[in-house]
Amino acid sequence: MLKFILPALWLSLVLILPLPLRSADIFPYAYKIEELGNGLKVVSIPLPNPNIISYYTVVRSGSRNEVEPGKSGFAHFFEHIMFKGTKKVPRAAYEEFLTLLGAGTNGFTSDDFTCYFVVFAGRENLPKVVETEADRFINLYYDEEMLKTEAPVIEGEYYASVSNPGRRLDELLRDTAFISHSYKHTTLGYLRDILDMPNQFEYSQLFKKRFYAPDNTILLVAGDFDHGQLMELIRKHYSSWERSNFTLVTPAEPPQTEPKRAHYEWPTPTLARLAIGFHGPAYSDVMIDQAALDLLAEAAFSPSSPLYQRLVISEQKCLFLSADFESHRDPYLLTLNAVIKRDEDLPSVEEALWNEVERLKTEPVAPDLLAKIKSNLKYTLANRLGTTDGVAGILSFYVNLATDPATLNRLYGLYELVTPQDLMAMAKKYFVKTKSTVATLSGGNAR
Amino acid sequence: MRKTRPFGIVGIIALGMMIMSMSCHKGNPNTLTSELLPLEGNPLVHIRILVKVGSANDPTGKEGLANLTFGLLAGGGTRTKTYKEITDAFYPLAAGVSVRVDKEMSVFSGTVHRDNLDRYYAIFKEMLLDPGFREEDFNRLKTNQLSFLEKTLVGNMDEQFGKEILSLMLYNGHPFHHPASGTVETVTGLTPDDVRAFYKDQLVQGNIVIGLAGGYPADFPARMTADFGVLPQTFTPRLSLPPQRVPEGLEIVIADKPTPATAISMGFPVSLTRASDDFFALWIAGSHFGEHRQHVSHLFQKIREERGQNYGDYAYIEHFIQGRDKFPATNICRQQQYFSIWIRPLPNSNRHFVIRQALRELRKLVEEGISEERFELVRTYLLNYTKLYAQTLEERLGWKSDSRYYGYEDFLAEAQARLPRLTREDVNRAIRKYLNFNRVYIAVITQDGEGLKKALVENAASPITYANPNMPKAVLEEDRIIQAYPLEVKAERVKVIPASDFFRTPGLPQQ
Repeated sequence: MLKFILPALWLSLVLILPLPLRSADIFPYAYKIEELGNGLKVVSIPLPNPNIISYYTVVRSGSRNEVEPGKSGFAHFFEHIMFKGTKKVPRAAYEEFLTLLGAGTNGFTSDDFTCYFVVFAGRENLPKVVETEADRFINLYYDEEMLKTEAPVIEGEYYASVSNPGRRLDELLRDTAFISHSYKHTTLGYLRDILDMPNQFEYSQLFKKRFYAPDNTILLVAGDFDHGQLMELIRKHYSSWERSNFTLVTPAEPPQTEPKRAHYEWPTPTLARLAIGFHGPAYSDVMIDQAALDLLAEAAFSPSSPLYQRLVISEQKCLFLSADFESHRDPYLLTLNAVIKRDEDLPSVEEALWNEVERLKTEPVAPDLLAKIKSNLKYTLANRLGTTDGVAGILSFYVNLATDPATLNRLYGLYELVTPQDLMAMAKKYFVKTKSTVATLSGGNAR
Repeated sequence: MRKTRPFGIVGIIALGMMIMSMSCHKGNPNTLTSELLPLEGNPLVHIRILVKVGSANDPTGKEGLANLTFGLLAGGGTRTKTYKEITDAFYPLAAGVSVRVDKEMSVFSGTVHRDNLDRYYAIFKEMLLDPGFREEDFNRLKTNQLSFLEKTLVGNMDEQFGKEILSLMLYNGHPFHHPASGTVETVTGLTPDDVRAFYKDQLVQGNIVIGLAGGYPADFPARMTADFGVLPQTFTPRLSLPPQRVPEGLEIVIADKPTPATAISMGFPVSLTRASDDFFALWIAGSHFGEHRQHVSHLFQKIREERGQNYGDYAYIEHFIQGRDKFPATNICRQQQYFSIWIRPLPNSNRHFVIRQALRELRKLVEEGISEERFELVRTYLLNYTKLYAQTLEERLGWKSDSRYYGYEDFLAEAQARLPRLTREDVNRAIRKYLNFNRVYIAVITQDGEGLKKALVENAASPITYANPNMPKAVLEEDRIIQAYPLEVKAERVKVIPASDFFRTPGLPQQ
């Protein structure tokens, strides 16, 4: 991870290492972290939201974990399998339990993690929720036929967004930009692998054994409950869960040495789309890179940036412009996205993006803009913390990255330290043409 | 920000009006009303301006005007500020103004940290009360609206496309007949003068409900009422809607396009709204049959869980838009409602089977009703699940004003009181009264529409296959019934239309 530190920043890092900055913590709620003997970590956040509890199980397994060929989309598939129940509480009984509870419940899978949540009213229901969720994770039971019936649902989920060109562009960009790393495929996976899922019962058992284990899982509980009671329940029901001790090694991505480009011809009418991806860093709350890049994305591509104002508001060539530098556990892509109104403007919009990334290397962002960005990030977070789900949802993302909610405070502490010079340094470091991939999509203009 | 307006006297008068409106919502229809939810200590403030007009108020030949006008208020400059200046001012606050236009209701809203309330509100009010109607903003938003109709809706979002086709079928010749975005022809003809005129006619006091929730200062409602009190004292009468047209048998529209997956929506008008006593009983039926994105949905169980056909299958007894998470969005109230089934995309090879399956399940619901066991289960489910509906400031305020629209003090509290009093027979009576299975509009987006039409009209067998060679016997036996389940589809009631022909002019495209 140290390779992502800019040498010039060592001094400032020494200064910031004694984090967390308790006096200026961005996360406004008190929380407790405990770890069971089997490695299961529990983050509990009692909140003053009357009688509502969000119970989140974060399994640190996402499409990043699909390292074997032919297994793309498996973490997401396994999320579906997790709803099949146990011998003690089969699927129908589990669903009846949730129905009577009136719970809002589901799961989602991302590149790095899979999250299961049960949101419910009534603190008196907590014991049963803990017991049932523990049983589900420890004693999941499904047979090959159940897996074969569930597999086509993934195909259906793929089809649910098949008319969305944004998803196709994302598939194309990743597939072109990455050679080896499992970020090469989307969370849904390649269609060919989805179609083969009915035949993957054996691999599903291996996947479960590797990743559905307490040492790869974090429980996040936010809302109206007593911490002592929660821990008593969790110790009672989760202590028998056995460790996996599996260490995932994701394939190293070889350095990109030449620019890449790919195009997809969309069959029906569509607005043209452009994505430029640069290989970026892994998440860190110690090194300045990710924090600086988060600010850079805002400075250069948010609605108040000069480029957005020009391309979207003044010249009106683009419907939409954004930067997606989302944090990942392994080095991922820094992506610039544009939706373009007329196909013939694709080249000039791309040129404008290239010119902008070059400008960012030499022209410092004005200090007052930087202050505005820091303010925006602070209030964006505050606006999302109004519900138990808001709190648990945000923390699920950050505990996945760093296993500790304090990472959020450390990241926002780093934001405060970022200077205009840091932004220029990051632009020079990461916006390198030979490490770039351009993906475009257009077509369907003939009526 | 305008600093010279003489707020004093207007403010006092408006405060008086506000107090009156809070105590009597059926007071002077020409003046503002408000919904207030003060929560001392809450760090956020949510501001919500509900306007009781929507796309159904678009003048004939100017379909899309409400959407463009209100979009221009939320996404354009004011008389004194460019849109860039507004964006710049909002940016450090992480705030903005969003707008949604439905058939009879539109809503402007924004949430801001109370630290920034004054700075935010100064611009918010200017956007609504002193809009710039600048040409560059008008052109930008008009072009965006046209792009949405010509490309995005028909090319990039088949699930929404299907729902909009169903709406076209339900409301042919009715003020609800067009999407909020209008049609290519009518939006192309809109001018800045149209927008100004619509604003002047519709953003008037009697159409507006001022909503405030969260940790706002005690004097804030009076300030808002004074500010919005400068709008004309008049109102737009609620539309007098024609009766909803019930389909003649199964009426099917197939939008034809190259696609590997088929999207399906179906439905028919229902003669009740949330204001009806019967709503609560039918709500249990709807939740049982197809609760939105929940496993309790019977259709979800039959189509997805038993057979793995697609990602999900749901049903609704009123217009539904998903809000936060999977909960219903608020402020989309309508005088007339419809029942619908949403079949998420599935491989083209299985489309005929699933149309049959959904209609057969609907028939069973109508003919057999709900079982006692399911009735008890779903009632308990709704009693608990609806406790999660109103958590954010926006949700709490939205449910409050929707309650008012349908004549309740608190609809969710009413549900807690009424659902326990219902019997299974109440639900089955409501099912028989409001639902049917043989007069249904069906919207399909698929490839080779003529092939589907032929199969439907001929009642061709529609067997499906499974990856699992050991499917449960009961499922396979039921499949044999479904694949031959007769549907009375007449050729003259099936239209196959190229997808790109939709939304060019008002109404369904000619075949």
